[in-house]
Amino acid sequence: MLPDGAEERLLANANVIANACNQAGAQQWDIVGFQAYGQQLDIEAGKVTMAAGGGEGGFGVRVVQNGRFGFAHMVDVTGAEKAVQQAIKIAAMSPKIDGFVLPSEQDAAPVAGLFDSAILDVQPETLLEQADALLASVASLDQRAVVTGGGLGVSATASILMTSEGIESSGVTTSHGLGVQVTIDVDGGLTSSYQGESSRSLMNDVPACVEQAVHWAQITQHPIAMDSGAVDAPVLFTSEGIAPLFSMVVPPAMTGEKLVRKESFWSGKQNQRVLADHLSIVDEGRLEGGMSSGARDGEGVPRRQQTLINDGHLVGSLWSTRDAAQQVAEGRIEAAISTGSASAGGHQSPPSTGCTELMLSSKRGGQSWDQLVEQMDNGFIVNGVMGAHTANPTSGDFSVTTSSILRVVDGEVMGPLKQAGLSGNLARSLNQKVVLGDDARCQGSYSSGRMHLPAVLLYDELRINPA
Amino acid sequence: MVMAAKQGDGHHHTGRYLDQERVSKALNLAEEMGATYAEVRLVALSETSIAMRDGALERAIPGQELGMTMRVLANGSWGVYSTTDLHSLNKHIESTTRLAKAVAKRRSSSDSPIGLADVPVIQDEQHWKSDVDVRYADLETKIGHMNDLYSGAIGSEHIVSVRTGWSDEHIHTELMTTEGMDRVWSFQRTLMHGTVTARDQGEVVSYRTRHGGQGGLELMDTIDTVALGEQAQKAALRLLTAKRAPSGKLPLIADRDLTGVYIHEALGHPCEADLVAAGDSCLDGKLGQQIGNDIVTVVDDPTMMGGYGAYPVDDEGVNTRAKILIKNGVLTEYLNHRETAHHFGVEPNAGARAQDGLHHPMVRMSNTMIQGGTHSDMDELMEDIDHGVFACGTRGGQVDTGRGSFQFAAQEAWLIENGELTTPLKDVSVSGLTLEILKNVDGLTKDARLASPGFCGKGQTVPVGDGGPIMRIREALVG
Repeated sequence: MLPDGAEERLLANANVIANACNQAGAQQWDIVGFQAYGQQLDIEAGKVTMAAGGGEGGFGVRVVQNGRFGFAHMVDVTGAEKAVQQAIKIAAMSPKIDGFVLPSEQDAAPVAGLFDSAILDVQPETLLEQADALLASVASLDQRAVVTGGGLGVSATASILMTSEGIESSGVTTSHGLGVQVTIDVDGGLTSSYQGESSRSLMNDVPACVEQAVHWAQITQHPIAMDSGAVDAPVLFTSEGIAPLFSMVVPPAMTGEKLVRKESFWSGKQNQRVLADHLSIVDEGRLEGGMSSGARDGEGVPRRQQTLINDGHLVGSLWSTRDAAQQVAEGRIEAAISTGSASAGGHQSPPSTGCTELMLSSKRGGQSWDQLVEQMDNGFIVNGVMGAHTANPTSGDFSVTTSSILRVVDGEVMGPLKQAGLSGNLARSLNQKVVLGDDARCQGSYSSGRMHLPAVLLYDELRINPA
Repeated sequence: MVMAAKQGDGHHHTGRYLDQERVSKALNLAEEMGATYAEVRLVALSETSIAMRDGALERAIPGQELGMTMRVLANGSWGVYSTTDLHSLNKHIESTTRLAKAVAKRRSSSDSPIGLADVPVIQDEQHWKSDVDVRYADLETKIGHMNDLYSGAIGSEHIVSVRTGWSDEHIHTELMTTEGMDRVWSFQRTLMHGTVTARDQGEVVSYRTRHGGQGGLELMDTIDTVALGEQAQKAALRLLTAKRAPSGKLPLIADRDLTGVYIHEALGHPCEADLVAAGDSCLDGKLGQQIGNDIVTVVDDPTMMGGYGAYPVDDEGVNTRAKILIKNGVLTEYLNHRETAHHFGVEPNAGARAQDGLHHPMVRMSNTMIQGGTHSDMDELMEDIDHGVFACGTRGGQVDTGRGSFQFAAQEAWLIENGELTTPLKDVSVSGLTLEILKNVDGLTKDARLASPGFCGKGQTVPVGDGGPIMRIREALVG
């Protein structure tokens, strides 16, 4: 899938841009380059509707002149000279950040599990066979179930980071992903559930998430009636249910810049308790096989494991080199350095600050699903929400809708609701009575990085509003 | 090596990027290999994005992007290839045709092969010119507009930050098909936005404002950008003292922004014929049926110049026209591209859009609006509401098209008590079921127009315009 010599060509092209930087008199520069190739199948109405392949890539160049920076991007290095000139011109217009220099080379040990040569050998026929297996699996679980959307695909990405400060890092990563929207339509009572899975390694078997998608489409059939009227009640979120809200609200609150600018609901609370005192959050920047982890961040600083919340106390924050320099220069904080948290989203923009592989855990350990349901006693189970992207990351407030909700009475699941509103404040909920499950699973993100979350039982600050 | 077939100063490029002779040969090759249809579509983007914070430049990013997608329909199945490398066209066409055939082999006998509805075969160029071309406007002018917004937004001790953003793009598209279509079109979009964050003790809130559309920098002359900043500041300060919204089924009045998002989520998405064909729309089988109150008429119109979702030609080369989705409450038309039009036996209505040159066309909305009604103003809509909510500004929405359930969130709101606006509210969201709530629309003001520009995600992200009049819903689930 990845053409021979892709990494070497990236390196050669980065050198062309580096030469353009040097000839233009750029004081410092860094160059990122990507070349990605992939294959994917789209599934609609229970069948493969499209097979697609492709390759794309480009380069971004950042120059730093006396603490001022400029950036430009291109698909074609024949435009390198012009792009570098544009970046230098923009740097001249940008405000000076005293002390902002690009990071120096530091040793960064490789992270294992980011590449699987088996993915490079995947042929379209292999993907088609996987699609057949997936569709057969859904049919075997429930003859009524139809995969109405989703698909699967593989990709390989060659990337390079080269800087004037001696950092030169390149490599190839691979990924294999799958997502399914399973729908069951019985007598006009349509229910559906979306689940997905991704891995750096080839997934040879149909992942368990497919069974979960069928399960939730099944158990939300035949909704029960409930007196309309909002109730404040405990909610047991599955990992899939909590992840969109958690990723929208929690990671941004822990970026150093937002904390010192007083734009985080945890501003001014360093070393204070902000979550239930048994909870911890760790960013595992070097997680083996992680989709967002790696040896270096987007500026070339080594990634690390970083504890952000320890026993409920805010003890860390996420910084990039530029953010740290700017906030120190502007006097909002006495000292700050990069925590290896600069995320390069691609070649079209300079790095921004974000988490990588965020792990939520409890020193009390986790409870089984049945224990959680029994402990909740009376409340609701939520497996997915609509509108998580409308949550307010500056306050933690949210007001979303769910059609994947079950009512629990006296520790027993009574049945699904057709639809309900769900509102509250996630930051405050997580700082009160919280119980975690023992089944942490990896979920995608609405912001940056990936969330490794178990089921989460929240008791306070939540309101359910049945339709 | 990533390289455009036709080099030059891309920033001021006005000619063709595709080598027509080479593309024609490649398309012929696809036909010789058994393809019933093939196309090559190229998009060249010249774009600038700018971010400022508290009046200081954070980043300005000029860029040139080029992408090409070829689609091959063989034996009733699609093969697609996207690339930034315009060379080795023949190789890609061959492999893509084989891919399509491989998919076709697995189609069960009960599944119909994919076909395409006929469309006029056109060779032409259509270029929507901007009065102030984004490619030639200098950075200082763009920053000047952003600073105007910033200057309006500051001035209160509670405002802790003002972020402003800018993006503009010149979109140049070329499409060649085995049918002989050879079209070139171009247009521009410009967008400015600001986010004002306010803080009072432990309370942190933010308010977002946007202005822009299809066109160049002349769009900034149609609005007082300082006033835009002032309005955002006032809204952020109001939110600091706003109360949590009541929960329950309440009468709701929505401003144009929310009316637009409502109709986009609740009706527009379920009207997308690819979802209907996939069995993932609550509007399947409802054409010709009364699904809304008879005061509800909804159009989706890419020809609405200035709207953020406007485009001269759709990404399958089909001429654009307004689509009437609902006429007086009756569902009259789905949004179609050529494949779904063939599936449903109707004419394509130019609903095919791709995010850029690296993505294939999907059925998408453009500028979607409810048309105006008979009420003169908001006071008239409010006067007989004893207890309800007026919600305005949008923080986005989402829909489950199959179930027909949707959610959208307001930026700010007020309680309506005895026909008067009273307590400011925050974090208001509205949810409901498409087939119920369309019947609950019972009041519309006369003056419908597009509201703030937005973006729509459906695997691919495209700019859209939404809007309408001020709307009253008899009963909606407010949370």
